[in-house]
Amino acid sequence: MQVFLQTIIGGVSLGAVYALVALGFSLVYRTMGLVNFAHGNVVTVGAYLASTLYLTSELPFALAMPIAIVLTGAIGLVIERVLRPLENRDFDLMLIGTIGFGIVLDALVIAIWGATGRAVPSPVPSPPLDVFGLRIRTYDLVVLAIAAAATILLVLFLSRTKRGAAMQAVAMDHEAATAIGIHVGRSNAIAFMIGGGLAALAGGLVGPLLYVSPALGGALGIKGFAAAILGGFGSIPGAIVGGLAIGILDAFTAGHFQGYSELVTFVVFTVIIMIRPTGVFGERTVNRA
Amino acid sequence: MKRPSVLALAVVVLAAGCSAPGADEKSTGDGTGPIKIALVDAQSGQLSSLGAWELKGARLAVDEWNAAGGINGRQVQLDVFDDQGDPTTGTNLARKIDSEGYLAMIGTAESAVTIAMAPILKQAEIPNITSGQSPGLVAVGSEFLFLNGPTSTTYDETLAEHIVDKQGIKSIAMITNNGSYGKGEHDAFLKALQARSVTPVADQVVTTDQKDFSAVLTGIRQKNPKVIFLGAEEVESGLIVKQARDLGITATFAGAAPQGTPVFLDTAGVANAEGTIVSSPYLGNDVSDASKKFAAAYKTKFNEEAELHGAKAYDGTQIMLTALKTSNVATGKALADAIRATKYQGLLGSFAFDQTGVGIFATSIGTIKGGKLVAAAG
Repeated sequence: MQVFLQTIIGGVSLGAVYALVALGFSLVYRTMGLVNFAHGNVVTVGAYLASTLYLTSELPFALAMPIAIVLTGAIGLVIERVLRPLENRDFDLMLIGTIGFGIVLDALVIAIWGATGRAVPSPVPSPPLDVFGLRIRTYDLVVLAIAAAATILLVLFLSRTKRGAAMQAVAMDHEAATAIGIHVGRSNAIAFMIGGGLAALAGGLVGPLLYVSPALGGALGIKGFAAAILGGFGSIPGAIVGGLAIGILDAFTAGHFQGYSELVTFVVFTVIIMIRPTGVFGERTVNRA
Repeated sequence: MKRPSVLALAVVVLAAGCSAPGADEKSTGDGTGPIKIALVDAQSGQLSSLGAWELKGARLAVDEWNAAGGINGRQVQLDVFDDQGDPTTGTNLARKIDSEGYLAMIGTAESAVTIAMAPILKQAEIPNITSGQSPGLVAVGSEFLFLNGPTSTTYDETLAEHIVDKQGIKSIAMITNNGSYGKGEHDAFLKALQARSVTPVADQVVTTDQKDFSAVLTGIRQKNPKVIFLGAEEVESGLIVKQARDLGITATFAGAAPQGTPVFLDTAGVANAEGTIVSSPYLGNDVSDASKKFAAAYKTKFNEEAELHGAKAYDGTQIMLTALKTSNVATGKALADAIRATKYQGLLGSFAFDQTGVGIFATSIGTIKGGKLVAAAG
């Protein structure tokens, strides 16, 4: 029982990070119908920016994170601006464009920070909590709280603000949205910017849990993408559920199947997707790609 | 990291495709231009720290030789190839260095990549000194493959002797990864334990890019072992130690080369890694006059502290260059024979190669104290 609960706790904290990565994928997808293949690399950039501000510039973590989020959001804007001429012209080229951006970002990260990577000490130095023999890292609680707060803010933005509602409208029917005067390009830009910010949030939060290296985003990107698909690509609650599900699934397969855990995780994932191709919260309306 | 590697692969395949298969134009072998040596190592990806260290060690050795006038008046040209720690990329690079007429290869630091490259290099008769330590390298049985350090068998035999025979600890758990290095460590350490009639209380296998070890570590915590053996690379080992301490595991960790590196210490956290038992042929820069000289030159050139992997690559490159000199810049089999005949007093000890391509058969035990690897007492 203890192993069971401890495994869930371990899976949830990484699952929250996968959920944030999945949110970034889903937000861009629901707005533009585009899979942003550079998203994983944007996570790496965010992780490096956050860790550099935190370690090298010695800013407090709580200050380093927002700056990294803003800077990475700006990178999202750049990606969207470069791809904008292709919008509604050639969708395949746009997809390939995001792949190209991923490679460029990857190379930039190695050029700027080197290939070696760095360890980030936990910004919350207090020892883990001991609850009935279960050990809960205080930093994990911080990660969960921030991820939850970010999700709530995102949902509020999409449902309560005019700009958010406009983005929803673009997601539902972008031609009708254009007809009533919604600036589709601006909606897309905001989606990319928020996606970048979420990537930086995920990367910055995961830094102290893992090790910041150029390979970081690749691993998180694949799991985050799987999480988005599992939850229902384009769905906000789906991204959260999918992220946590992948995190917990991963933790359990690691315990039971050891060296074959990765294989089992993705076999289970494939079976679920075969049974429910739209994912848990699949929204068919965004499926215009 | 899949996408960039696909593109790089395509480039490499195209490049390799430009030359006819088996077209050996080892023009540098008897020519007068620079002597071309390839260094193949991960310069990107999770294993890139190994590649970066290895490059520095090899570069230092080559620069020393070139500053002293090169070999037979010819400069040595060390070209770097990025294998991304990926065996597929490695095999393409093996064909590339063959078609581009490199005499010899230094690297890789990753056993799986070297094993994948070995058959092609054997066919092309390109001698290769690797930094890998998996017993699988010996099993390849290539007379062109040499190791610049001991194999896992040596590391783990020494480690088991220290833990079981000297300290009398029998309650040991194992965590190894399913990569080539981890698999080699798993088999070698388990064999060393079995030879002492010790059965590990837990024998857990993780994947090479696993990030969360809660399930594995909680299981081990219930067994309450005294020592946990780690058979995984630097970053993964560091993560395991960090998460284990968070879960309240107080056992001592033990392992081979990766557990003595700064990357391991940084990832795990200095306090968490305290007391880790390390089996290594190079315990530090203050062991001998040669290592002090090497460390000083390394520090001057790269402005960072030297460590094991740089030292191994330095030794390996020195042996390669010495063999090139004694054989009068031979190529292929003659060069391989010259390497095998080279007796070299290096930073890791005295090298004398046997038929398997292993040149050194001893490691020392060190422990991590206050963030530094020091020789263990007794």
